[in-house]
Amino acid sequence: MNNILFLILRRLRRPLITIIISFAIAIIGLTLMPGVDDKGNPWHMSIFQAFYVISYTATTIGFGEIPYPYSHEQRLWLTFSIYLTVIPWFYALGKIITLLQDTALRQAITTERFAKSVRILQEPFYILCSYGESASVLTKALDDKGMRVVVVESMQERLNELELSDTKNVIPSLCADAKLPDTLINAGIHHPLCSGVVTLTDNDQTNLAIAVAVKLMNPNLPVLARAERDDIAANMASFGTDHIINPYVLFGEQLAMRVHAIGSYILHEWLTDVPGDTLPPPECPPVGRWIVCGYGRFGKSVIKNLERERITTTIIEAAPELTGCENCILGSGTEAKTLIEAGVKDAVGIVAGTDNDINNLSIVMTAYELNPKLFVVVRKNRRHNNALFKKFDANITMQPHDIIAHECLAHMISPLLAQFLALARNQSNAWANALVSHLVSVVGETVPETWAITINTKNAPAVVAFLRQNHPVSLANLTQDPANRQEHLEAVPLMLLRNNESMLLPAGTIVVNEGDQILFCGRPLAKSTQPKLLNIHKELTYVVDGIVVPDTLIWRWLKVLQERLARTKL
Amino acid sequence: MNLEKVIFGFFIVLAMTLNFGFFLGDIDNPNHHHVYELYAAIVVSLIATVLKFGDRTQVGAVLLSTSLAADLQLIAAAILWAVMGGSMDESSLMVYIVSLSGGALMANFVSVILLISETISQRR
Repeated sequence: MNNILFLILRRLRRPLITIIISFAIAIIGLTLMPGVDDKGNPWHMSIFQAFYVISYTATTIGFGEIPYPYSHEQRLWLTFSIYLTVIPWFYALGKIITLLQDTALRQAITTERFAKSVRILQEPFYILCSYGESASVLTKALDDKGMRVVVVESMQERLNELELSDTKNVIPSLCADAKLPDTLINAGIHHPLCSGVVTLTDNDQTNLAIAVAVKLMNPNLPVLARAERDDIAANMASFGTDHIINPYVLFGEQLAMRVHAIGSYILHEWLTDVPGDTLPPPECPPVGRWIVCGYGRFGKSVIKNLERERITTTIIEAAPELTGCENCILGSGTEAKTLIEAGVKDAVGIVAGTDNDINNLSIVMTAYELNPKLFVVVRKNRRHNNALFKKFDANITMQPHDIIAHECLAHMISPLLAQFLALARNQSNAWANALVSHLVSVVGETVPETWAITINTKNAPAVVAFLRQNHPVSLANLTQDPANRQEHLEAVPLMLLRNNESMLLPAGTIVVNEGDQILFCGRPLAKSTQPKLLNIHKELTYVVDGIVVPDTLIWRWLKVLQERLARTKL
Repeated sequence: MNLEKVIFGFFIVLAMTLNFGFFLGDIDNPNHHHVYELYAAIVVSLIATVLKFGDRTQVGAVLLSTSLAADLQLIAAAILWAVMGGSMDESSLMVYIVSLSGGALMANFVSVILLISETISQRR
């Protein structure tokens, strides 16, 4: 701010000096002009009176001839003064207004304001280096979870959307190129509370540039980057980008997961969705012969994963030589002829995966007419086509930005959650189904909160104090209700991490150790109640031993006395 | 020789000399202190202040602050004169005005010393 003030002052030097000099001449002249007072005596204006008269004249307020009607000499001088002072006055005003509208100056001011609002953040926050479709979904989810976000975006129109949206917390945002190191510094990559940088622009090169810059300037900061090309992803991995997100690969994996393990899929969706939402029951794709339209990055990933599930596929591709497709039917899939040629009548499913929304809709509508029993998977590219896709109501609508946002959330909510989901994917479908039904019985149908706790002196002082007195605390104790120890909080421990060894769905009888990290999932109320047990010794004593410790010194002393009396009686 | 430097130095020195001229004389004798001299001192001091705007060096910042101190006291003296003139004993009013301008003189003096020291330290 300092620099901006001096910038303004420096530019205003000339107009200000012009005003001072013109006023000085006008004032001195007015005091020298002979005048007459109301009694006819000769009279000269004092400097103060002259200053008053010139001030209201120069600003064109014009109160008239004060205190006595002026003499000819005074009027002559005042006429001269009007031209002398009014023009510099407007010149200065114009200069000030031009200066305030100066784009460079305004940019400097907004940047400075943004940097300041980031500097004063007192909570951990994430930096989002774009505000496109996936980043806006992510921002909303993080904001709903009460996490702080800072947004840098190079297009003002997108930021306007952010400014108009209704958010819980203030989201500092800046219209700037995130590739520039200065922008990243202003956005807070050196801030001690910055928990990570997320770069989800649709340009791989930009994501790469941001990831490199962040890793160079602050190597310890986690970076989540989107990369659609394999060579860029490999490049990012080479300098330690923490998570690389490829929406097509992710969707292919998810589709495969749906085919062979619907339970794991639900679990994944559930734990990474926005709390409070209800999930529609997902449909299980049938096994049989599928038709895939479009053999781009999306189509390739889908086919690879479907084939792994032993599903045969027929490919329809308009430009096989471009995409390297060997065994395919030529055409775009929008005409009935191509679809019939691909055998749509006896296929069980169709995937419309081109990068054109209208073509995708056309494909699935034609196919649906030919075979109404088809399982339809359609790719949606643009968010503003939402209404069209809703109307068609495909079995699965693939939205790249939602998939990216979910994947980011899994990493951002807690590193433990990402680890848990990775492990859960390797479990059987029955395991996942059992877990989902258990979760539903405990936390209900709405999307639960997921959170991690660490048993150490900073985050759980009461528990640590207990453990150091060799007083064991079990995992079940941490989910008891401090209001009534018979009741349980609506929370389930999902994973326990001890000495880098993870334990899925730990039993309640397990005794916690210092340094354990535990991932919980439960109702928002349970999340907000649990810290009482971790922090307050009295509450933990009640929950573990069922003893209510007196609050004050006198009661404690009385209690000791009472115990001693009881002992002597025995 | 740099014209900007000449003008800059001229105004700073002139602000001090005018101030000194007004200050000179018996402190309670209105005949020794002319109102136009105070007026000229204020105008020149204001110009000197504006000239110092935007100088980002350490010396520039201190020069600006001394100038602001001088302005403050001179304007206080002028307001006192304009408001209290005629309503109280002229020689005691003059004591207040001249002592205020004496304070401004000190600030202007520091300003000139800074200017000289900066000039001497420059080897070009």
